Amino acid sequence: MLLDLSEEHKEHLAFLPRVDNAVVAEFGRIAVEFLRRGANPKIYEGAARKLSVSSDTVQRGVEGLTYLLTESSKLMISELDFQDSVFVLGFSEELNRLLLQLYLDNRKEIRTILSELAPDLPSYHSLEWRLDVQLASRSLRQQIKPAVTIKLHLNQNGDHTTQVLQTDPATLLHLVRQLEQALEEMKTSHCRRVVRNIK
Amino acid sequence: MGEGKYMEQDSECRNKIKGQLVDFQWKLGMAVSSDSCRSLRYPYVAVMLKVADHSGQVKSKSFEMTVPQFQNFYRQFKEIAAVIETV
Repeated sequence: MLLDLSEEHKEHLAFLPRVDNAVVAEFGRIAVEFLRRGANPKIYEGAARKLSVSSDTVQRGVEGLTYLLTESSKLMISELDFQDSVFVLGFSEELNRLLLQLYLDNRKEIRTILSELAPDLPSYHSLEWRLDVQLASRSLRQQIKPAVTIKLHLNQNGDHTTQVLQTDPATLLHLVRQLEQALEEMKTSHCRRVVRNIK
Repeated sequence: MGEGKYMEQDSECRNKIKGQLVDFQWKLGMAVSSDSCRSLRYPYVAVMLKVADHSGQVKSKSFEMTVPQFQNFYRQFKEIAAVIETV
């Protein structure tokens, strides 16, 4: 699969052959750092001064490079497809080789970062429970009614939330049985076949 | 004329009320065991309030109190009742 680079993207990347390959390698390092930790505009200004160009030009060059790397990593394109996609930019063979190396060296890490961008459902963090005996209520006195109170700790996108639930022991047993049944499904031949085929 | 003015103020106050207590349920329980402490004898009062907002939507709020907390809670209402008597 070839990358389809827009005219605007090609324009931004056109800055790269205007600088040393060492600078392009540095831009590559900055691009991955930005993906790890977020952009730092001050770095553009320093580079712009050293290269005697506007800071916007540097920014667009780095962002163009970042986008090239993330799109290639996202689609997991082959070496050959990457080379063919970059070929249309008309860069020198040395620069093309450098870009390919940047892609191959950083692809795994970029994919890990991109995988964290998927929407996140609340997930289990921990659970506290308490066994209670209800002795009386507004509507009925002299009771002995067992109940289980559960405090479910959840994580979602880095936020921590809690949910308090209460149930009786019979329902809790039913819940446990349902969860055990779900786990047992994983052992069926159908599920095993699907998992084997995905791997 | 004095009376009329008092009634006006009264209905204005009611419109500004954020919620109206619709139901007050309680229960008394004893916690006997938990994940952090296997042998407990901890009595508590659990309260569930139902409050209707100005649009009529009813929301529930539950909370728990230890016995000393409940005694303080009860004392507040006794004080409110005492003050109302004097009005």
